[in-house]
Amino acid sequence: MDALYRFLSGPLAWVSFVVFIAGSLYRLLSMGFLVRRKEKFIFSVMSWKYSFRSIFHWITPFASVNMRRHPVMTITTFAFHICLFLTPIFLLAHGVLWDDAFNIHLWALPNGLADIMTLVVIAGGVFFLCRRMKLAEVRYLTTLSDYLLLIMVAAPFLTGFIAYHQWIDYRFFMTLHVLTGEIMLMAIPFTRLSHMLFAPFTRAYMGSEFGSVRHARDW
Amino acid sequence: MDNMAAKPDETILDEGIEKGAALLTDERIEKTILRVLNTEGGARIKVYVDTCVHCGLCAEACHYYLSHDNDPRFSPAGKVRQTLGEMIARKGKVDREFMKKAAEIAATQCNLCKRCAMYCPFGIDVAYLMSVVRRITHLLGMTPQYIQATAHSHSVSMNQMWVREDEWPDTLQWQEEEARSEMPKLRIPLEKEGADIMYSVIGPEPKFQAQLLYQAAILMNAAGVNWTMPATPGWDNSDMAMFTGDSELMGRIKRQHFETAARLKVKKIVMGECGHAFRSVYDTGNRWLGWKIPPIPIVHAIEFYYDLIKEGRIKIAQKYAEPVTLHDPCNVVRGGGLHEKARYVIRAICDNLIEMHPNREHNYCCCAGGGVINCGPPYKMARINGNRVKAEQLFAVKARGARTLIAPCHNCHSGLEDINHYYGLEMNVKFIGDILYQVMEKPE
Amino acid sequence: MKKRRCFYLTAVVVMTLMSICCWRLPVAAQENMTSVDNGDFGRPERTPSIFRHDAHNEKAKIDACNTCHHVYKDGKLVDNESSEDRRCADCHDLKAVGKTPSLRRAFHLRCVGCHEKIGRGPIMCGECHKK
Repeated sequence: MDALYRFLSGPLAWVSFVVFIAGSLYRLLSMGFLVRRKEKFIFSVMSWKYSFRSIFHWITPFASVNMRRHPVMTITTFAFHICLFLTPIFLLAHGVLWDDAFNIHLWALPNGLADIMTLVVIAGGVFFLCRRMKLAEVRYLTTLSDYLLLIMVAAPFLTGFIAYHQWIDYRFFMTLHVLTGEIMLMAIPFTRLSHMLFAPFTRAYMGSEFGSVRHARDW
Repeated sequence: MDNMAAKPDETILDEGIEKGAALLTDERIEKTILRVLNTEGGARIKVYVDTCVHCGLCAEACHYYLSHDNDPRFSPAGKVRQTLGEMIARKGKVDREFMKKAAEIAATQCNLCKRCAMYCPFGIDVAYLMSVVRRITHLLGMTPQYIQATAHSHSVSMNQMWVREDEWPDTLQWQEEEARSEMPKLRIPLEKEGADIMYSVIGPEPKFQAQLLYQAAILMNAAGVNWTMPATPGWDNSDMAMFTGDSELMGRIKRQHFETAARLKVKKIVMGECGHAFRSVYDTGNRWLGWKIPPIPIVHAIEFYYDLIKEGRIKIAQKYAEPVTLHDPCNVVRGGGLHEKARYVIRAICDNLIEMHPNREHNYCCCAGGGVINCGPPYKMARINGNRVKAEQLFAVKARGARTLIAPCHNCHSGLEDINHYYGLEMNVKFIGDILYQVMEKPE
Repeated sequence: MKKRRCFYLTAVVVMTLMSICCWRLPVAAQENMTSVDNGDFGRPERTPSIFRHDAHNEKAKIDACNTCHHVYKDGKLVDNESSEDRRCADCHDLKAVGKTPSLRRAFHLRCVGCHEKIGRGPIMCGECHKK
């Protein structure tokens, strides 16, 4: 287990960061070049003002009509995404790794808060799973990959939670935590988790089209 | 995965789709799909399909979905799943039956109204994806026959309704003569070079709604506008090719329209109360021709009325008394932001405007636009059943007192008439121009 | 019956006290040391790291005190001097000063750094910071 952990937290950590960053850059740049080659008009439509007007409306809870129509979904999805994003970056244990290895100091969340935020992510995942199975309009769109993505995202949080509390077999869950975290990171550019990369751009484009061409709101 | 049994009434036999499908081979389907996805299509298709997380939040944006008791097959993303999503997943290896279904969904179960783009958290443009499917079915020669017939008409006559070159000026002169009995000095100036405005309309106006030309002539003359209409092809601003996926034809139609205005050296083009034509000249056709914005300014009737009333060039004799409600057409409101101007005009000419809900950008579609009504009688009930929610919306506003339904768009107008009759709404469906003509002061 | 209950009660109280003593109180003598004294951290987020001084050094074959209790002068390690008479926190502040690592980093580098280097000993957080 130690050798595996050493490999996962050493070389594979580097690999996963490189895959994540290089993969994300590759996806974004290749899409950018594709736009330049095929849909140049998109650049002519884009506007900073309307891009941010739209992004602002869609990253503010309840600022769009559809968010107000689904309050539970809105609260859950905001809580889920905020915790999903902040917890791994500002977790004390992760900060210690940065500190020990590179002498880089990050502000860290108190452990108790991070624990709750992890639970929020897990609970959000359960909510999305139930929604996927229960609601006809979501179930109809669901493929196996949607479940796999959900598992892929929830796994590092679930294993991290178990490992933090040192339940069952600590070393096993710790190893699994590192592995699942790295899998998720590497999957971002190449699965539909890439909405993390593309959503700002699709939002900005639609915001620009509505703002500068259609003179209408898009929220 | 498909756990929904198809309803028996679901597939509608359309000669255009059937005959086109009979000629398909698997290789041709695959080749055509890959051509559109990889050669014509660009980043938008890829990003939209990769970014959609299948959350289903677009569903409630769609009037088809709402009208079919939340049947997920009618949700925007559900329609992508059944068409383009599957084509991409199977790399174009889909069969004839699949393509028939895809053609029907794209052509007759989506009005390209883009309401769903306002409900998707990522702003994914499902209307665009449906247009891509229509493009594929166009290249495969399986467009529904009625709308294909209008596209043929465009191709041959440069207008939508097979209006012959001599019939057009003839109709204008006929309406001029009619209107002179009301306003003796009235003219419909043809081919007047250097006029301020070229007035352009859609094919159905000379074909069977000539009174709209009459009303426009009265308005232009009363306001003292320096205007003209072309006597040549290029007078029609409509564009069914945009909806069939025949982009090349769309380009030809729009070029002729703009070139006619350029030949007449007008300052701007004013167009009648039509939504899809506005989309074509303002947003889609111009871009196909390489213009970011139209080369000659386009003024939709709503904006034109607004200017005339604001500048005091039209006086209102007596406001329209019956309470009215306004249907916001997708192409000029979600597509052109004219909703406040429309309200200004209506308040200026009507005593009482009662808002329907939702309204403005969030109004429900008429279910006729996007070429769906042009797919003709086979799909009439699909349109009417697909827009029960519109009837509910209208009943609600009628209960609050509205009796006249204003729809400043031809497609909306016709679609709402069908809703009106079938659901027994008994409202008076009118253009803004109908009311304006009725209430304005008409100088001798 | 009553006697027996008293016995049990006393036993439980004594055991509890003993375990609290073992767990909580820093033990002065190194031979009895079971964990690293984290008293200099103010409000530590984790439990003190488990460390049985003599057992560890016997197993790790560490004889020289200054393997861990080192002395640096002007950024250089001083041979033959050791610092077991001082607290780590005397040199290592809570925040790094110049090249001197912070107290937390110093502990981690000293323990995990060595374990990583020789390929033996615990390296995961919870192996030392037991709940």
